[in-house]
Amino acid sequence: MTVTVNNQEIRIFNGATAKHAILRYMLKNKLEVKKVDNLVIKDKYGHQIDGDAPLSDGQTITFKTV
Amino acid sequence: MKTFLRIAILTVLAAVYTSTHAQTVKASYKTDLHIVSTNDMHAAFEKLPQMAAIVDSLRCLDKDLLVLCAGDSRTGHPINDLYPNTSYPMISLMNLIGFDCTTFGNHEFDSHQDGLARNINESNFPYICANISADAELGIQTTPYKFFDVKGVRVCVLGVVQIGSHGRPDTHPKNVVGFTFAPVEETIQKYLYLRDECDVFILLSHIGFEDDVKVAEKFPQFDLIVGGHSHTQLEGGEIHNGVLITQNVNKLKRLTYTTLTVENGKVTNKQAKNIEIENYPKKNVAAQSLVNFFSDNPELGKVLAQAVTPFSSYEELGCLMCDAIRDISGSDISFCNAGGVRYEEHPAGDFTVSDVLRLDPFGNNAVVMNITGKELKDMLIACFNADENRFPYTSGVTCHVTYTDSKRSAIKSLKVLGPDGKEINPKKTYKVVGNSYATTVSNSPRKDQGEDTNIATSDMLMSYLKKVQKIDYQGKTCLKEIF
Repeated sequence: MTVTVNNQEIRIFNGATAKHAILRYMLKNKLEVKKVDNLVIKDKYGHQIDGDAPLSDGQTITFKTV
Repeated sequence: MKTFLRIAILTVLAAVYTSTHAQTVKASYKTDLHIVSTNDMHAAFEKLPQMAAIVDSLRCLDKDLLVLCAGDSRTGHPINDLYPNTSYPMISLMNLIGFDCTTFGNHEFDSHQDGLARNINESNFPYICANISADAELGIQTTPYKFFDVKGVRVCVLGVVQIGSHGRPDTHPKNVVGFTFAPVEETIQKYLYLRDECDVFILLSHIGFEDDVKVAEKFPQFDLIVGGHSHTQLEGGEIHNGVLITQNVNKLKRLTYTTLTVENGKVTNKQAKNIEIENYPKKNVAAQSLVNFFSDNPELGKVLAQAVTPFSSYEELGCLMCDAIRDISGSDISFCNAGGVRYEEHPAGDFTVSDVLRLDPFGNNAVVMNITGKELKDMLIACFNADENRFPYTSGVTCHVTYTDSKRSAIKSLKVLGPDGKEINPKKTYKVVGNSYATTVSNSPRKDQGEDTNIATSDMLMSYLKKVQKIDYQGKTCLKEIF
């Protein structure tokens, strides 16, 4: 499936959670991998979601380091 | 004639009086309906004594408090999930709290058909879900909706569960054999007539916030959607198209406390706020006693297999983990990141449930993909690069890795050998399984990104150990490192 993380499309396995998509994003962009506890993750409405939140194809999330 | 006129006048007066009186009664009827709701508790049973104390307090304010759960009560803690009667700790605590109803979450099906039937029978509250039906032989009765009469207000709760793109809730396909699922919006349309039969219409939903918003936009008939699945933290609730939607993140960090003001059979005001559970200072004593009882779970000490010889390296234990997920998933090849193997020595003798949970504690699921030999090779190298330059363990293939130096700074060359000792075909497609972490960090290009099996790798390891009964991995290797 394809999800959008911080405005970038990420391909990842079906059933992936927010933390998986963010980890893939960090590696793709050669960023330092941060623990999910140190991140604020939000959905397209700007609501905070948990790292274990299940994602579906086409979903958009953003994250920031606390 | 006079008599007739007298009767007629009296009849008219009586009708006027009755009508006026009835209107007066209706107009003066106003009440507040209070609801406490949870979602995605994911077996956080140790927080239920705090929730119970909060519910006790709220019931002192309103004895007619409704307590609702929007699904996914289980899957997330071995004490609950591995209990001999799976998920019984959560259910017994929910019974004690006095939940009025729940809907199915996708993870309720992780109990398997027989376990789910037992879960439903053990629950003192109904499972409400309109877009599911079960074959008769499963012995599972599903209820699409339920009416509650609360302080003279007729409340109808309709339930729905998430359906993935594969046409079933996100659980292993075997868990839903015998169930039929219908699309959410189509199902809601079918039950809209309930709006006319109640004063308050609630959707108890496990479809995720974004889909809850879509439902609210399409079906303003609902007064309230108590949502779950997407682990979305709302500030109390949010109104879309006049429908109040509530949801909290997972694992009982917070509850939602909703107040609906009902006047003349209509909801005239809606408010929702969060109640913090984690730092709540009080616990219900009876609930805490149950938690203490369940925490002493003899199941964790259960012996799964006998280690004929001791394990004396990460690699030996990694080989065991890889053999397990390859065998249980029916794959050709498996791999696990080296960092996912959490201890390096295990004595000969008993291999217990607790040993498995210490060895593989991260809750990773197994992910299956169909990829070519070339794509597999690239994945293994990508996994090495992302896992602090540690090469992953494998089963079904043996890897000969040549590094640029003794510090494993980089891979110079890699040969992936099949069981026949020859290099695997780079163009042939293999069924490969990896844990979800290794699959994620292996960021190399491939056509098939894979599918979550919705089975934890630790569960696969337990199943494998039960199956083989005896294990002997002394000196076993899946990796030849050349410096």
